Amino acid sequence: MNAELLMLVGGSAAFVLTLYWVRSRELHEKYAVVWMTLASLLLLCGCFPQAIMSFAETAHVSYPSMVLFIALAAIYSFSFTVSVSLTHQHQRNIRLTQETAMLEYRIRQLEMALAGQSSAAGKPQTRRK
Amino acid sequence: MKNLVIIPAYNEEAALPRTIASLQGLPQGFELLVVNDGSRDKTGEVAQQLAGTSRLPLHVIHLPVNCGIGVAVQTGYLFAATRRGYTFAIQFDADGQHDASYILALLAACEKHQLDLCVGSRFLTPKSAGFRSTFARRLGIRFFAWLISLLSGDRVTDPTSGLRCAGPRAWASFACHYPEDYPEPESLFWCARNGLRIGETPVCMHERQGGISSIHRWGIAYYMLKVSLSIVLDRLRAREQTAP
Repeated sequence: MNAELLMLVGGSAAFVLTLYWVRSRELHEKYAVVWMTLASLLLLCGCFPQAIMSFAETAHVSYPSMVLFIALAAIYSFSFTVSVSLTHQHQRNIRLTQETAMLEYRIRQLEMALAGQSSAAGKPQTRRK
Repeated sequence: MKNLVIIPAYNEEAALPRTIASLQGLPQGFELLVVNDGSRDKTGEVAQQLAGTSRLPLHVIHLPVNCGIGVAVQTGYLFAATRRGYTFAIQFDADGQHDASYILALLAACEKHQLDLCVGSRFLTPKSAGFRSTFARRLGIRFFAWLISLLSGDRVTDPTSGLRCAGPRAWASFACHYPEDYPEPESLFWCARNGLRIGETPVCMHERQGGISSIHRWGIAYYMLKVSLSIVLDRLRAREQTAP
């Protein structure tokens, strides 16, 4: 197996995997677009190895080094995107946690006020477990 | 005039009763808010019990999970923004380090000098007065004081102090945006950079009466690096909109 075939197999596998995860609603479409772009890139590299070779020659590096560089650049880009998404998600989680806590406070206050009204009116109080 | 004392508490069941008792001497118009930051001990239950006996109105908010000091304090500012009617929001540690008698001095300094944020500084009092933290921490505090003073042009001496009084412009802004971990130096610099008036007033502090510090031994290097980076990066940002 040569590098081109490996890229073709890898690209096809990435395509199939992405489609499978989107189909089963485990992966959001907006992320699927990015992964399918990567899979397409892999397939293109497999189909047209001359592209990487000429790129490597222009940059004065060997072919394997250029493949490694492109792979690392792709990994870096995706890891960075994940960090940004995680930051957004974290901020949302924090705000939701704060809002939940404040709503719980308001419910507790309302329950106490209702309990006070019930006892003032001589009604039997219901007690939450 | 209503003022809110925000007390972030994480695993402070031992120190909280004494802290709340020390705040009972404050005059009418003050309200207390304990933000139980997902404690694993009985801090929440203790706070609820204290709410039943407190002379001043005592509110208790329970964060369902531990979110860190910055989030706990910001929840207090959000609470103030939601309920409205508060003038000053005072941050006060639950661990017994702070002396409640200085709250009025912080408020007076805010009113007298029209400050948006007044910090209680351990380093404006005579050296023999109160507890000034360990040698290593004092070095860190000096470094942050130097960094903030250099980058903002405002002289500060105790940027890590958690005893601070925020005016409406400051706490309304903090309700929208507040640093999560190690927030004191960052929020102080944020105020200075965005045109809010900051100041300090001398206070004495005590050693903590319970709980554990949010900065552990091995976390000091990370703390120094993270806070320094945050301050320097914040300096590079454009001036932000503050609350009116």
